[in-house]
Amino acid sequence: MWSDEAEARILYVQTHGISDPGRCATPFFLAASAAAMDCEVMIYFTMYGPTLLRKDMVDKIGPKGERGQPLRYFVEQATGLGVRLLVCQPSLDLNDLSLDDLIGGVEMIGGAAFNDLAVRADAVISF
Amino acid sequence: MADSPPADQTLDCTGLQCPLPVIKTAQAIRALAVGQVLELLATDPGVEPDMRAWSGRTGNELLGIDKRGEVFHVLIRRAK
Repeated sequence: MWSDEAEARILYVQTHGISDPGRCATPFFLAASAAAMDCEVMIYFTMYGPTLLRKDMVDKIGPKGERGQPLRYFVEQATGLGVRLLVCQPSLDLNDLSLDDLIGGVEMIGGAAFNDLAVRADAVISF
Repeated sequence: MADSPPADQTLDCTGLQCPLPVIKTAQAIRALAVGQVLELLATDPGVEPDMRAWSGRTGNELLGIDKRGEVFHVLIRRAK
């Protein structure tokens, strides 16, 4: 799934979800920074991570609550720079979600694809 | 930076925090022609290591970083 067109590939892994808003934004803005540095970047959402992509939640939470930008701002900053967002079916099931519950553009992969992305990435960064 | 060329464009990121100066610089440099110079104004205290890392990674040429008062003036030439 890496295009190999960039000089470096970074895979971020987000395991935290909407119950811990203070942990929701950092993977997106680090991913956005990496994309701005001409890296190829993906974020894989597993465990509670997929809840951050719920289309009914991205405007309701943010890392600083009412005092800062909503989660949608950080998501769109990353995707606007070409960051790809990935989920897998078991972690959707864990959170009783389907792909239709999520914002547009999220890609479905499985464990084998995740492991292959990790092996071929230059860095894997987990939250 | 006394010998630095004048900037073709200025990007004011004063008051903005990481990662916005990096992201806006990346977007602004793509709007310039190769060889043109961008001047970034930023107050984020991490901008110097960030712009060194960004220019090293992207291949754009960091001509200089000069702090005047609270504002960093960063000159970057689009290289490719």
